[in-house]
Amino acid sequence: MASQSQGIQQLLQAEKRAAEKVAEARKRKNRRLKQAKEEAQAEIEQYRLQRDKEFKTKEAAALGSHGNSAVEVDRDTAERMGRIQASYRGNRDVVLGDLLRRVCDIQPEFHANYRVAG
Amino acid sequence: MALTDADVQKQIKHMMAFIEQEANEKVEEIDARAEEEFNIEKGRLVQTQRVKIMEYYEKKEKQIEQHKKIQMSNLMNQARLKVLKARDDMIMDMLVEARQRLAAIAQDPARYSTLLEGLVLQGFYQLLEEKVIICCRQQDVEMVQTAVNKNIPIFKEAVKKNIVVKIDTNHFLPSSICGGVEMYNENGKIKVSNTLENRLELLAQQMMPEIRVSLFGANPNRKFTD
Repeated sequence: MASQSQGIQQLLQAEKRAAEKVAEARKRKNRRLKQAKEEAQAEIEQYRLQRDKEFKTKEAAALGSHGNSAVEVDRDTAERMGRIQASYRGNRDVVLGDLLRRVCDIQPEFHANYRVAG
Repeated sequence: MALTDADVQKQIKHMMAFIEQEANEKVEEIDARAEEEFNIEKGRLVQTQRVKIMEYYEKKEKQIEQHKKIQMSNLMNQARLKVLKARDDMIMDMLVEARQRLAAIAQDPARYSTLLEGLVLQGFYQLLEEKVIICCRQQDVEMVQTAVNKNIPIFKEAVKKNIVVKIDTNHFLPSSICGGVEMYNENGKIKVSNTLENRLELLAQQMMPEIRVSLFGANPNRKFTD
């Protein structure tokens, strides 16, 4: 009867619409998963930039303090040099005199183990 | 009796509603799961990468620290070497002057002849040989001969051995040195180098710790002195 086929048509159409809705949902799901990757990338990149900035700050700080310590070491060295030079100038003549005195003071001896005959 | 058209229509409407409702529920389910999986996946990706980045930067920061320490250590090492070199240079300087003063002393004939006597006798005692050859500067030959003649009896008395000394007239020590003698045994294989330069050098080497302490003061880092 005509009404029967009409009813069946309606049912078939309903099924078709239902199937389309589900398929649509599945497509949305896939898109969402792809989005996950992209959003994750963006967040990661942001974290990386932040970390990088922190690192650069630390690096600059370290370089700065190194310059300071170099200056300090140089100052310390200069002080030490000054001290030894003063000490040298003060004691030089005494040591020189002592050295030359010993050069001229010759004590000839033969070896302690030498047996003098008779 | 068969169902009326209206009944049929109602039934069909019910069935259609049912189909639609089932579809909606399925869609909801899919959407919910999509959201859940989205969060899980995103969280997982972010976490793994975060950990990697963190490790990377931590390592780099540690390297900076190490680098700094190495540079500091280098600086201190350089400084220390500089000071040590300065000390060494000063000692060299002093030894150069010592040589000059020694040359001046050797010009004085009285002092020089005393020195020669001492050097010659010392040479005899070092060699303890019966036949000795002496090398000296060309200008010193006479003075050396005098010194030798003076010392032969002293040697004989002390060691109770005979000794014959010859001054080498074919080879001389260079005139540029301060003075002194070189003595050899008969075949020239044993040598006693008793020049003034050698004496100074030997003395300086042996006295070096003492010289350093006198010039620069004791070493504050030294713990044991025995």
